[in-house]
Amino acid sequence: MATVEVRDLSKRFGKVEAVKNLSFDVQAGRVTGFLGPNGAGKSTTLRALLGLINPTGGTATFGGRRYDELEHPSATVGAVLEDASFHPGRSARNHLRVLAVTGQHPPGRVDEVLKAVGLADAADRRVKGYSMGMKQRLGIAAALLGDPEVLLLDEPTNGLDPPGIAWMRGMVREQAAHGRAVLISSHLLAEVAQSVDDVIVIANGELRAQGPLEQVLGGSDGPATEVAAEDPEGLARALQAAGHAAVRSGASMVVHGLSPAEVGRIAGAAGLTLLLLTPRARSLEQAFFELTGGTDE
Amino acid sequence: MKALLEAELLKLRTTRTFAALIGTAIGISLLVLVLSTTLSDYDREQDVRATFAGDFTGLFILLLGAMGIAGEWRHRTITSTVLAAPDRLKLIVAKTISYAVAGVVVSFVVTSLLILVGTVILSARDQTTIDFAAVVDIMWRNLIVAAYLGALGVCVGAIVRSQVAAIVGLLIFSLVVEFTLFGLAPDVAKYMPFNGAPTGLQDVTFDDGETEFLDPGVAGLVMFGWVAVLFAAGAVLLRRRDLT
Repeated sequence: MATVEVRDLSKRFGKVEAVKNLSFDVQAGRVTGFLGPNGAGKSTTLRALLGLINPTGGTATFGGRRYDELEHPSATVGAVLEDASFHPGRSARNHLRVLAVTGQHPPGRVDEVLKAVGLADAADRRVKGYSMGMKQRLGIAAALLGDPEVLLLDEPTNGLDPPGIAWMRGMVREQAAHGRAVLISSHLLAEVAQSVDDVIVIANGELRAQGPLEQVLGGSDGPATEVAAEDPEGLARALQAAGHAAVRSGASMVVHGLSPAEVGRIAGAAGLTLLLLTPRARSLEQAFFELTGGTDE
Repeated sequence: MKALLEAELLKLRTTRTFAALIGTAIGISLLVLVLSTTLSDYDREQDVRATFAGDFTGLFILLLGAMGIAGEWRHRTITSTVLAAPDRLKLIVAKTISYAVAGVVVSFVVTSLLILVGTVILSARDQTTIDFAAVVDIMWRNLIVAAYLGALGVCVGAIVRSQVAAIVGLLIFSLVVEFTLFGLAPDVAKYMPFNGAPTGLQDVTFDDGETEFLDPGVAGLVMFGWVAVLFAAGAVLLRRRDLT
């Protein structure tokens, strides 16, 4: 059984179907990126997982149990949501003390997590004086308070400076290395690419792709090759005759679905001289835009 | 439940809202008491009872309760609160009890202070005072009303959700609507939740001699009914609401 299981999850807000029959798994010991454009349904899905919204249909469970059925929810799941907020007049330490009392965690955990996220020196300041990055760290401290088996992080790098982002990457990798399941939602694809093992891509509330990062990066149309020839028109005709289309990219062109060797054979058979022949890896952004129907402009 | 109660009481103690509201309540109540006991003549025990029982703490406890839950939406802390305590029914039970307890503590402090200061002033002026039995009688009635108003505030806050709307609505209803009703339809007003029924339980009479309140026992039942109805409505809404 997967650590996190989402099955046929649907959520409708009035006429808007925010999530449509969404199913995916998140495994322990792996960092899973949860990707999609704004309005794709990522936050709605995470909130349904956490019992904050009532799904229209389907289930979202942790080890087979709904969040509100967990005996010790904050010791099982730690969550940082995009709009994590704190009472502005309460200090970070007191905010965590309240959560520690509610979750019945040892009082000593408060200082441990404050130190872990680098807020120990600012722990007794009121949160209204915190920067966005400090608030984000406090949210993470709250999520780690119960030493949970699962971490759900919704846009966790928002407001973090570059060192903070690097710290976040290290933190999620460390959590996964300790056997925890980490689901990290982000629109910063470059951030995700550097820290995740698996990705789940959704758009318009529907699942578009799920799997190991490399598999989804490869996409459904196979390899791609960037090629330039002395006679570009002749190369385009030769490729078209072989059943492949080339997309102009400056002085060169990109052929999807063919490896450099295959493009070279077609060019050689047509007696064309090539000036450039190189594999072109699809970036996660490209794969993401293709999967979600967006553009990278 | 014990952990939830502890957490709610810790929340109360770790912001300045609680201290500010209670400080204001004590200040206003003391000011009115000092003016009243200094400037008025007291020759009936019933007048002394009315002065000691009729402080402003109840209104502030009511507002505190409403802010205790509506403030969770205002500051968007409701998400972390529900994540920590996903059983929303238990959550609203804990909040209701916590603010009832807070009301009792605050009322005890304020009532004790008012009785002490008032008695000193009245004694110095050779006016009528009340004996210990009457003090105990005022105290337990005030404590019940304070607990009731703390709980009622939470229920209203859970229903209204907007902190500003809850505070403004409570002020208008308790200070304008109910007092207007006492003039227009006193038989209806005495059943009202914020002044009518609580005044009946406090068993005080006023100078006009015309305003009739419910018997304390009936008033207690009416108050229980208000809390039960508003709690049920608040709990149903809290459980159904999507926290988006």
